[in-house]
Amino acid sequence: MDFYFGLAQIIGVHTLLGLSAYVVLLTGQVSMAQAGFYAIGAYTPGAMTAMFGLHILPAIVIAGLVSAGIACIVGFPALRVKGLMLVVATLAFGEMVRLFFFNLTWQVERNGELVGPNGAEGFRAIRYFPQNGWEVWHVTVFIWIVVAVVMAALWWMDRSRAGAVLRAVGHDEIAAQSIGLNLTAVKVGAMTAGGFIAGLGGGIYAHTVTHIEHGVFGVLLATFAIAYPILGGLGTVFGTLIAVLFIQGFLIEGLRFMGDWRSLLFGALIVLAMNLRPTGLLGEHAPRMKHLLGLRGRKTETLESKEAN
Amino acid sequence: MDYFFIIDFLQSLVDGLLFGTTYALIGIGFTLIFGVMRKLNLAYGAAALAGTYIGVAASLAFDAPPPLVFLLSALGSGVIGILVYYCCFRFTPTHYPMASLLASVGMLLFIDEVVIHASHGMPFPYPSVFRDATIELGDVWIRGDLLFVFGICVVAMAVLFWLLYRTPLGLATRAVSQQPRAAALCGIDPTRVNLLTFGIAGILGGIAGAMTAAAVGVISPIIAMGLTVKGLIAVVIGGLGSIPGAIIGGLLVGAAENVFLLLRGVTERDIYVMLLLFLFLTLRPGGLFGSSAGRD
Repeated sequence: MDFYFGLAQIIGVHTLLGLSAYVVLLTGQVSMAQAGFYAIGAYTPGAMTAMFGLHILPAIVIAGLVSAGIACIVGFPALRVKGLMLVVATLAFGEMVRLFFFNLTWQVERNGELVGPNGAEGFRAIRYFPQNGWEVWHVTVFIWIVVAVVMAALWWMDRSRAGAVLRAVGHDEIAAQSIGLNLTAVKVGAMTAGGFIAGLGGGIYAHTVTHIEHGVFGVLLATFAIAYPILGGLGTVFGTLIAVLFIQGFLIEGLRFMGDWRSLLFGALIVLAMNLRPTGLLGEHAPRMKHLLGLRGRKTETLESKEAN
Repeated sequence: MDYFFIIDFLQSLVDGLLFGTTYALIGIGFTLIFGVMRKLNLAYGAAALAGTYIGVAASLAFDAPPPLVFLLSALGSGVIGILVYYCCFRFTPTHYPMASLLASVGMLLFIDEVVIHASHGMPFPYPSVFRDATIELGDVWIRGDLLFVFGICVVAMAVLFWLLYRTPLGLATRAVSQQPRAAALCGIDPTRVNLLTFGIAGILGGIAGAMTAAAVGVISPIIAMGLTVKGLIAVVIGGLGSIPGAIIGGLLVGAAENVFLLLRGVTERDIYVMLLLFLFLTLRPGGLFGSSAGRD
């Protein structure tokens, strides 16, 4: 049973990671820096709970805020360039963060032993959960409450004006600018929100695995982050969730008997999916529940979506 | 600032500039593909690596001489480049850039994993030439193998320039990169040009991969990431879409990398190279030779 709780925890944190990329992708920007924000979010609360004995909840919120702040600062220079150049800039930023933690050694003594990040060896003993008597299912429920809150917030945002603004910038920047939207503010705002969510995810991740090291936060993780929302489709937050369930649940755990060949399969799957369904599983315009159930209103909706395209 | 420090500094600078030509080649490859398709091919570094491994396989299988190994590396990478075009760019919609971008990332992971599987993740020795020869200029030594790397890369660039500016194929390529629709109206088949560009860029990447491996002496799957990231940084510094920019950017990245290696050590070197990138993004987002700032 613990295995399934563990799997649910992995799916939970990866959903947060995917959602952080989802917000940025809505504005049409591909950010490969999410693994970097995730790393910042992992090291910061790890340090706060393990080294200074803070409670988990303020620790992960602070982690989110720190990541958001850094995302905001990175956003300004990075967003002076568009599209493909941004990919390069964020890729470089992610690697820079990883190398920073690779070089970071900062240990303090606590209860007679040294804790803290120790360069290439990583950050050991982030044992907040076991020390405070949390059981595996407590942790799982905690993670999924956070995931549910974030998903609900994003779902609500999608349906509000903010979501429309993000999508307007994503679809056509010039049109968005000509109706008076401030492009820089929107993009940096999306980047900041993405940083916050990635920070939350990283903070939780650090506490569930208790040992983090720089190698985890490489380009592969950044790829996972953008792959989830793109594979799932940018129409709705549930696309990201479905993609995470499929990749983490089926491709990585379900096909465990295939051993190392799974990582081969992951790359091939992305290539195949992008050729067959470039807008992702649920597409850019998420299917509404009533359409799936075959109720009325189907015709008008297809007309609308044709016009939108 | 004693004498020996200055000599060390000059030595790193020279080594870095010579080695930087490999980054310049990778940068040119990215720029060529961007020029004709307005797309970023992130699988490019991995294709270069895979081509280099094909050369290694030849040298292991029938003890091929170094020139043949280099040639096979370049051609193998060219073939893989064409394969990448068919898998990631030919059938993905042009108006939805995320699809081909993510497909090329998937291809990057796929090629990387295939190489790791085939080689069991072990580093292999790679042949080199003029390893023992050095030229001494005062107290600064120029390594023969690095000079060879430099020479091959310069020759590759010269051939590329000849191809682009003196042949009908080059004319077609430049036409497509300037205005694809008008080029198609003039009877140029953009698909064929794209295909050839991927092939040519792949060959350049293969040469860069082979020369990197020859300069280091061993080849391991790790170098793909280094080539990709450094090549991209070279392109951004030089200006996306500009070939002279990619060359200058590559040399600059190579030199900066080696100087920071001397000043700050191997674990911190790449941080400073990436800070250099951010400096350029902030002060000159279009790059040194970019035609317009921050264009897509």
